[in-house]
Amino acid sequence: MVRFLQACADGLLTGALYALIGMGLALIFGVMRIVNFAHGAFLMVGMYATYVLFDSFKLNPYIGFLPAGVVLFIFGYLVYLLLIRPVRNRSHFMQILMTTGIGLILTDGAQLIFKADYRQTNIDLINRSVHIGPFGANAAEVLSFAIGIVFVVGLYFFVSRSLTGQALRAISQSPDVAPLMGINLTRIQGFSFALGTALAGVAGGLLLPRLYLFPGVGEDYTTKAFVMVVLGGMGSIEGAALGGLVLGLSESLTSLYIGNQWALIVDFVLFLLVLSFKPSGMFGRQRA
Amino acid sequence: MRFKTIAVFGILSLCSLIPAWGQGTTKIGVITSLTGSQAAFGEAHKNGYAIALDEINAKGGVLGKKVELDFYDDQSKPDQAVQGVSKLVDQDQVPVLLGSYSSESTKAIIGAVTQRETPLIIPTATADNVMDSKSPWVFRVCAGANDYAKATIAFLKANGAPKKMAIVYENTNFGQSNMKAMTAAAKEAGIELVAVESYEAKSPDYKAVLQRVKQANPDVIYYCSYLLDATTLMRQTREVDLNPKYYTSAGTGFAAAEFPTEKGAGKNADFTFSVSQWLPEAKWAGSKEFDAEYFKRFNSHPQYHAMQAYAALRVAAAAINNAKSLEPAKIRDAIKNINLTTTPFGPIKFENGQNQHPVLITQVQNGQYKVVFPADVAQAKPVIPAPVWSKR
Repeated sequence: MVRFLQACADGLLTGALYALIGMGLALIFGVMRIVNFAHGAFLMVGMYATYVLFDSFKLNPYIGFLPAGVVLFIFGYLVYLLLIRPVRNRSHFMQILMTTGIGLILTDGAQLIFKADYRQTNIDLINRSVHIGPFGANAAEVLSFAIGIVFVVGLYFFVSRSLTGQALRAISQSPDVAPLMGINLTRIQGFSFALGTALAGVAGGLLLPRLYLFPGVGEDYTTKAFVMVVLGGMGSIEGAALGGLVLGLSESLTSLYIGNQWALIVDFVLFLLVLSFKPSGMFGRQRA
Repeated sequence: MRFKTIAVFGILSLCSLIPAWGQGTTKIGVITSLTGSQAAFGEAHKNGYAIALDEINAKGGVLGKKVELDFYDDQSKPDQAVQGVSKLVDQDQVPVLLGSYSSESTKAIIGAVTQRETPLIIPTATADNVMDSKSPWVFRVCAGANDYAKATIAFLKANGAPKKMAIVYENTNFGQSNMKAMTAAAKEAGIELVAVESYEAKSPDYKAVLQRVKQANPDVIYYCSYLLDATTLMRQTREVDLNPKYYTSAGTGFAAAEFPTEKGAGKNADFTFSVSQWLPEAKWAGSKEFDAEYFKRFNSHPQYHAMQAYAALRVAAAAINNAKSLEPAKIRDAIKNINLTTTPFGPIKFENGQNQHPVLITQVQNGQYKVVFPADVAQAKPVIPAPVWSKR
């Protein structure tokens, strides 16, 4: 029982970061109907931004992820204006080509600038653990989790309560009618693309202390983000967050009871099952 | 007019197909992982090759011409390594190939080099299945997974003879091959395998895997991991408070220069054992000089991966000189008959394509690799059992 609960806790610790990644992708998909294949690459850029701040300015990654998020927000906005906006009304195929291309350029660009060396931030926190009764957790992971949850909840309230959030949802419900109601389509789409990118960047920054960094690090997360978005119901932001937590849990429990090599397989089996039998998502919600 | 243009282009393009002619150099093809997850080892390869190259060229090169290395980066991916064979052999027409780094990529190119009848010298791939094909074009300089397992078992027998072992391996050709070799060796030695766990690299969380191992309560863990995961594994071994008496490993990540430093696992690396194929302190003549030259150039001490690349290039150059030809078949025959008695990597001679190379056991003590086995070359006594995490 202790092992089960410990594995659940470990799964949720990872799951909160997955949730951030998934929400970013869901936001972009929900508002723009663009399948963003560069999402993992944005995460990688966020990791490098945090890493550079750590390496050059000795800024702790747990502070550095914030400026990294801001940088990614601006970067995402520019990417939207220059590259995504021209294809927003084109076929899905064009959009997929565009985002895949952006992802490849970012990954190879990082390789050009930073070489393929793996890097890590050996901060003090990573070697400490927190113990509560029979349970233990890495201090850095707990901190990443806590910050991640703050962002997840914050984003949820932002989207559901604020005026901009309402505009986001209006566009996602009806991209044709919303502009007629006085919503600036370009501004809101640019904002949500930038915000989605920033979320990937923040998640990257929070992931950095507990993982290695190399240019290809984001690749797996693009696919995982798709799984989360599908689990949660396509385009549903809170659904993607739950999808992230479910994915973290399922990976951890699969590793404990079946074996780590099955974790990814279980991810994708879940993905296929939900797509085939409950395409509106595991939680049966409508999109945001 | 048109015909002339075509003729000129034709001749020009034909010229570009003729390699090295009139350029005064001999090209040797190298496939390694300069980028991607195994770039740290590709870098070591490149450095080792560079030292061998300068040494060979200082002595007049091969067949009176300077040697030039033609690198192909496989990006740590097997399919790219296969592309490398076709680029280097079909297009650049190199007469001999060295590489790749990982067992995965190396296994992938065996068929391609055999089909093209070009000799391949393998510097670092330890998975024994790279030699399974019995291809007459394939030669391996390093010792393999079976040698690793046997050396580790011999060391354990001589140092307390533990009874229960767990294997934690990365789910790749390298990991699987070492797991299989150790499974067989442990059975033969009467050691019970209480857990055999595989994992996927790049995952941030191996704790569930280590929990399973902890449940089985082994005396020894045998890790088969690259560097990315070795660091995380040791940190999380500490976190789940898993305390075997021995942390042994199939080299690689656990034998990388960065592993016991702050850039790698740092203090968590202390007391881990690893197999090793070479260290700067090895008894073979030239080891210290290689270390000194390496340190001078790259400001770090080499691990065995760099030395194996160095040795592979030395073999290739010697074989071309012995063959007195750049014909792949003649070079192949020369490699078969090669007998280098004194290299910094020890004597090199191939039997059925395999160089018989002894395996050492090292332990990280105070952040330094120390040879602890076999006793006649040991620099330090092994510390057994490793202190439990709460007492460190």
